[in-house]
Amino acid sequence: MSLTKKYEDCEIKYISTSIKTNDAIQIKYPLVNGKRLMKCIPNGATDNSDYQEILAWVAEGNTIVEAD
Amino acid sequence: MALSKIDVANMVTGATPVANGGTGQTTLAAAGLGKRPNKSPLIINGDMAVAQRATSATGKTTGAIYTVDRMKLLLDAQGTYTVAQESLTSGNAFANGFANAWRVDCTTADASPGASDQLGLQYTFEGQDLQVFKKGTANAEKFTLAFWVKSNKTGTGNIQLKDKDNSNRQCTQSYTISSADTWEHKVCVFGADTTGAFGDDNAKSLIINWYLGSGTDSSSGTANHGTWEAQDQTKVNDGGTLNINDNTNNDWAITGIQLEVGEFTSSTLPPFQHESFGDNLARCQRYFQNLAEGTEKPFANGFFWEAQEFMAHAGLNAIMRAEPTLEYVTGSNYYSILRNGGTDQLDALVISGSSSRSYIRYHLASGQGVASDTKNRPGQLMTANASSRIGVTAEL
Repeated sequence: MSLTKKYEDCEIKYISTSIKTNDAIQIKYPLVNGKRLMKCIPNGATDNSDYQEILAWVAEGNTIVEAD
Repeated sequence: MALSKIDVANMVTGATPVANGGTGQTTLAAAGLGKRPNKSPLIINGDMAVAQRATSATGKTTGAIYTVDRMKLLLDAQGTYTVAQESLTSGNAFANGFANAWRVDCTTADASPGASDQLGLQYTFEGQDLQVFKKGTANAEKFTLAFWVKSNKTGTGNIQLKDKDNSNRQCTQSYTISSADTWEHKVCVFGADTTGAFGDDNAKSLIINWYLGSGTDSSSGTANHGTWEAQDQTKVNDGGTLNINDNTNNDWAITGIQLEVGEFTSSTLPPFQHESFGDNLARCQRYFQNLAEGTEKPFANGFFWEAQEFMAHAGLNAIMRAEPTLEYVTGSNYYSILRNGGTDQLDALVISGSSSRSYIRYHLASGQGVASDTKNRPGQLMTANASSRIGVTAEL
């Protein structure tokens, strides 16, 4: 399964803090019965497999939504 | 016994004095213990005792670790499944010391899978835990994989070892389930590989895939069981007949997984290395830690860095494989900051990039629901809903 397919129903977005722009990457999964799974990945955590997967997702031509 | 009674000659040669003249085995090799340089089992949670996330997960259509720690459902567009940590109370596996199993039940069948579809169980290793196999050297060791398995289906199952450090080199092996709904013990030997060393690091080096069904992309080739070779996906499930995907009556369960260095048979295989639950859990927590679950469970203490900005710190129970991802279930007001005689309700949580493998640092602001408060006041992060659930993951 391509990563584009895997994340097609998710919102993937940078989160900035007052300390650092794009400090983390948030994955928001679809709402199911009033609740959802969320992930928050430290930006730049090169050993983190979720981070590696997001980089591969971007390499497939997808774009991380800019932080608010 | 007096020292003069010890039969030194026989001990050295491997002959078999039991007490003073029986037929026991006196060398480690003769007892099947000749090659076990590892202190703890190479497979973490092979007895399926630890299930931090859940004991049952229904309606699964994609691959992930849902229940038993370290055990990942391999699933790509091939039906719908319930994954469970099954409690055992009878059968051969139970009689051999295993009280739990990883189990998958087909709930929506896909009897005509697409070419690239696949179903199975996946286990992954860090390269630094595999150096004992001396892969990529002239002294490379064979791999012996043993496990207990049970299914309503009889037939042939396939297993793939996949070397992620060396262009996905692979070695396959098969096993046969002879009797339906009966726990059977299988011992599978994979060859030694003098090509391609495993990286000595915390990255994914080896994958074990137990194939339970697949499309033709994984079965159209001719398997070369027991021999390492270049990646060829078409061979990995050649001759596989389990097809757990083809009927909603189907199930498959496994426990007692052990990986040994060298070649063993069912009669020479060293005994399974049982660990205490605490030791097992601690090893699992290198990859996943459940931090809080349910209502009003505190999980971090912190302070208001600014009026609408809250920072909190939480040490982790074990140093994780990598800087972890925060993973949580949320809905309306599932989390809160307890502070100054009141609470701020939160739907989202954010961890800062300044977290590490041993602690996480939350950094929350108005965007996550932090309301005004006085700078420098302390506060506590808590769960606020029965369905709240928060953990950190550093899986491979």
